[in-house]
Amino acid sequence: MTDTKQITFRIRRYDPDLDTIPHWEEHKLNVPDGMTVLEALQEIKAEQAPTLAWRSSCRMGVCGSCGMFINHLPMLACQTQVLHLGTDVVTVAPLPNYDNVKDLVPNLEPLIQKHAAIKPFIILTNSKEIDEPTGEFIQTPEQRDEYSQFTFCIKCGLCLAACPTVATDPLFLGPQALAQAYRYTVDNRDCGLQERLEAIDAFHGPYQCHMAGACSQACPKGVDPAFGIQLLKRTLVLDSIGFGKKKSSVAKVMPLADIVKQIEEFAPPPRTVGK
Amino acid sequence: MRETRLWSLHILVIPVIAVLLGMHFAVQHYAPVFYGMSVEKARDFATMIERGRSTAQFVVYILLLAAGLYHGLYGTRGIIRELPLSPAMAKVVDWGILTVGVLIFALGAYVTWWTFVHPGV
Repeated sequence: MTDTKQITFRIRRYDPDLDTIPHWEEHKLNVPDGMTVLEALQEIKAEQAPTLAWRSSCRMGVCGSCGMFINHLPMLACQTQVLHLGTDVVTVAPLPNYDNVKDLVPNLEPLIQKHAAIKPFIILTNSKEIDEPTGEFIQTPEQRDEYSQFTFCIKCGLCLAACPTVATDPLFLGPQALAQAYRYTVDNRDCGLQERLEAIDAFHGPYQCHMAGACSQACPKGVDPAFGIQLLKRTLVLDSIGFGKKKSSVAKVMPLADIVKQIEEFAPPPRTVGK
Repeated sequence: MRETRLWSLHILVIPVIAVLLGMHFAVQHYAPVFYGMSVEKARDFATMIERGRSTAQFVVYILLLAAGLYHGLYGTRGIIRELPLSPAMAKVVDWGILTVGVLIFALGAYVTWWTFVHPGV
C-alpha cells in the first residue's frame, strides 16, 4: 500500500451570493505520493466541501484551465504534486491580478481581451491570395524556429498572475499577449506588424515591462514570455528606424507545379532488392 | 509619436548624460585632479561665470539639460501613467509633463544663455 501523509489544505473560499469578502477554510487530507493538487481538490470536494468551485479540464497540463495560486505561486493544479511542495500546509487561492468569480475561479476575460487586441493570427495583405491561393507558403525550419517556442502558450494566464506590472497597471498588455504579438509578427507568412502597432506600440505595450522575469518562471510550458517581450522591443525599434525585416505585401508562395516536383523528389528510392 | 521612438530616445540619451555629466563632474567637482584648481576656487561664483562664457560649456550644459530633462520626465511619466488613469487623464499627464519639460528647459536655457553672454564680474 502507498504511504500517505496528512496535509492541511488552506483554501480561499468566496461565493459572491453569500460572502462580502473571501475567507479561508481548512481541510485535512491523507495525500499519497503522486497526488496532484487538482486530485486533492477533487477529493476534498467529494468528501468535505461539495460547493467548492474551480475550473479544470484536461488534467495533463494542456488546456491551461486549472491555474491557481498554490503556496503563493501561480501554478497549474494538475501539474503540481502535493508532496513535491514540501509543506504540511498547502494554501490554494485564485490567481491574483484577476477578479474572483467564485472560490478558485478567476475571471480570465482581461487575458482574452488583451490576447485578441494584438490580432493573434496571420495577417495577409494580399486578399487575392487568401481567396484564391496559387500555392503553399514557404517556411524553412530556420524561419519556424524563430517563433516556435512561443506557439507553446496554452493561455493559462499564469504569466499575468505572476507579473508585478499587471498588478499595478491593469492596462498593461502583459506577457502573454506581447509574446504572442512577437510570435505572429516574426512569422515570415505574416504582414501584419503595421496593423498591430496601434495595440503594441503604445504606452501599455512592451516598454512597460519591468523585466522582473516572473512570467517566464511561472510559465508551465517554457514559453519564456519575458524573452518574447525583449525580442518584440527589438523588432519595434528596428521597424521604427526603417531597419525592420521587409516583408512583401504579397506573401511568397510556392507554385503548385514546384510542390508537385518536390513531391517527386521525395519519392521513395527505387527498389534494390527483389527486383 | 510612436511609443517606440519615445522609449528609444530615452535609452539613447543615457550615454549622452553619462558623458556630459562626466564632463560636468570633471570641471566642477574634480577640478583639483583635472585642472590643478581647488574645489573652492572651481565652485567660486566668479569662476563659474567666467567658465559659463565658453562656447563649449554653453553647448555642454544645454545638451545636458535637454538630455537629463527628457530622460527624467519620460521616467516620471512612466510612473504616473502606471496608475489607473482614464484615457483623458492620461492625456492630461502627457501634456502636463511636456509643458513642465518645456518650461524647465526654457528657464535652464535662459540661465545658461545669460551666463554665456554676461560680461563677467
